[in-house]
Amino acid sequence: MSPPSASHRAVERAVLACLGAIFVAAAAVAYGYSLKDDLGPGSGFFPFWLGVVGAALSLFLLAQSWRGRSIGDGAEGSWPDRAGALRSAVLLGGLVLSALLLAPAGFRLTTFVVTAGLLAALGVRRPLVLLGFALVASAGLFHVFYYWLRVPLPLGPFGL
Amino acid sequence: MDTLTHLASGFAAALSPAYLAYAFAGCVLGTLIGVLPGLGPSAGTAILIPLTFKLDPTGAIIMLAAIYYGAMYGGTITSVLINVPGEAASVVTCFDGHQMAKQGRGGTALGIAAIGSFIGGVVATAALALIAPPLAKLALKFGPPEFFALMLLGLCLVSGLAGRSLAAALLMTVLGLLVSMIGIDPVRGAPRFAFGIADLYDGLGIVPVVMGLFGVSEILITAEQAAREVIRTRLAHLLPSRDEWRRSWGAIWRGTGIGFGLGLIPGIGAIVPTFMAYIAEKRLSKTPERFGHGAIEGVAAPETANNAYANAAMVPFLTLGIPSSPTIAVLMGAFIVNGITPGPFLFQERPDLVWAVIASFFVGNVILLVLNLPLVGLWAKILHVPFKYLAVGVLLFCLLGAYSLQQSVFDVWVMIGAGVVGYGLRRLDLPLAPLILGLILGPAIEKSLRTSLEMSAGDYGIFFTRPLCLGLLLVSAAVLAAAALKLAPKQLRAA
Repeated sequence: MSPPSASHRAVERAVLACLGAIFVAAAAVAYGYSLKDDLGPGSGFFPFWLGVVGAALSLFLLAQSWRGRSIGDGAEGSWPDRAGALRSAVLLGGLVLSALLLAPAGFRLTTFVVTAGLLAALGVRRPLVLLGFALVASAGLFHVFYYWLRVPLPLGPFGL
Repeated sequence: MDTLTHLASGFAAALSPAYLAYAFAGCVLGTLIGVLPGLGPSAGTAILIPLTFKLDPTGAIIMLAAIYYGAMYGGTITSVLINVPGEAASVVTCFDGHQMAKQGRGGTALGIAAIGSFIGGVVATAALALIAPPLAKLALKFGPPEFFALMLLGLCLVSGLAGRSLAAALLMTVLGLLVSMIGIDPVRGAPRFAFGIADLYDGLGIVPVVMGLFGVSEILITAEQAAREVIRTRLAHLLPSRDEWRRSWGAIWRGTGIGFGLGLIPGIGAIVPTFMAYIAEKRLSKTPERFGHGAIEGVAAPETANNAYANAAMVPFLTLGIPSSPTIAVLMGAFIVNGITPGPFLFQERPDLVWAVIASFFVGNVILLVLNLPLVGLWAKILHVPFKYLAVGVLLFCLLGAYSLQQSVFDVWVMIGAGVVGYGLRRLDLPLAPLILGLILGPAIEKSLRTSLEMSAGDYGIFFTRPLCLGLLLVSAAVLAAAALKLAPKQLRAA
């Protein structure tokens, strides 16, 4: 296993610092919920101690990282090339767009647009395949979930 | 006698047309998930939870359990044909299975894997039916302190065996526990970490979180990798020759024993029994040099162990409510969504459900054998589906699943957030299993801890004066100490 790169270490430390800050903030908020009440441990008891332990572990791992030891297992630690990173960014962008469009545009329209857009961005060039897949995916999933499984999926303009 | 009566009524339910159809659909979908590159059993089970929303709880659990063990088998096909394990437990199958495919014996490799999986699964389920009721009866005597210690032991086992770094695994466990604190306090009923946001009063939904952590992150990571070449091998001769049978028979039985034994220990992970079974066969063989070059025992033993493990892992889950692996944690999420809490009370309160599910394991193993031997060629063809279509399809399913549980766009954002977090954690090689286990066990562990302390008026001595509780705490400490001192075998730690 090759040692982690400098950029990997930098990301690792940034993530640990963020986690440490989250744990400290959680402990502080939990302290405000009261650690003890008349019946025993209060609402803040368990999350407070989790925050304290989490912050201590983050600090320990941060120190370990500064001393040159990687915190993970090294199995998936290698970072992708530019093309690979772009593919996953496109997929994530599609999901974010879906979340934004779902309520105002409805399920069918959203999934049709996002599916066609994602396939085009991932390299599908034949319009018939692209539009056909998008149509079958959006209409097919809507039919199965809305009519068969009776899940009330959102409808867009003109009941689409 | 009681067990046989219950099992008979379980079979009567599991063999009803509706439940048989759910088990069949689950096996088909599970195998499909195992076959499709970039989708493991955890991700697959998570994204298919929405399909079960409108089923009755027993039907939903039967279908999801079938997806789980179907996916465990499906991973074998990719291991043999493209040298890429469909899930972690199939890594070992690549060693000899892919070599067999290169030699034109891919059909035999898949055939012996199906037969071994069937035997391992059926024997392990029979043992599950025998062991589970007395274990659940014993667990009924547990009070809150014992339950706290038991769940702590589950978390320690998963953390101690989850990866190379104990501190990193513990950090993930604590993070999971802390995230589970969002929402209404289970003891006092006061909101915590909701910050006035109404959507947070119910906490973060388990389904969107597991879909994001496993489904979305897995697709994002797979999208970054280059496509693999599929070996075109002869799939006509599925049944082994007489000599191959002779070599495989012992391996199958030893694999069953190893898989079942290790499956009973929470936190072991599916990869460990498969490695152990492989190593055992290599050590016992008179010709160990054949291993890695297409030895059929090198496929039979780990595949059998894998399926025996999958069924045995249901023992701590159904009787004690402790999920042994991320996939079972996802399954536990599905139980909770359906209003069922796994654990000793389940055998008392819902014997109809438990025994129908156990009987469905037998039925499911038969379905898998019938499905996999003749249809192996069809599964192999699915490997040629371009990843871009698969990725888009999976993301659509994640979108649907996250939204449809509560018809909430907020849950879709939770899933996306969990997907980004899961991607980042996997890139940093931080283990997800302790995180998800902490998230699922969090409310129960907090409740048992606080109830125990209320019982003792705040005296922590309650955990050290009850023998069983003390014993469980000592074992937890020993597990953590062994992990810290790196005393556990390397394969166990890598799981």
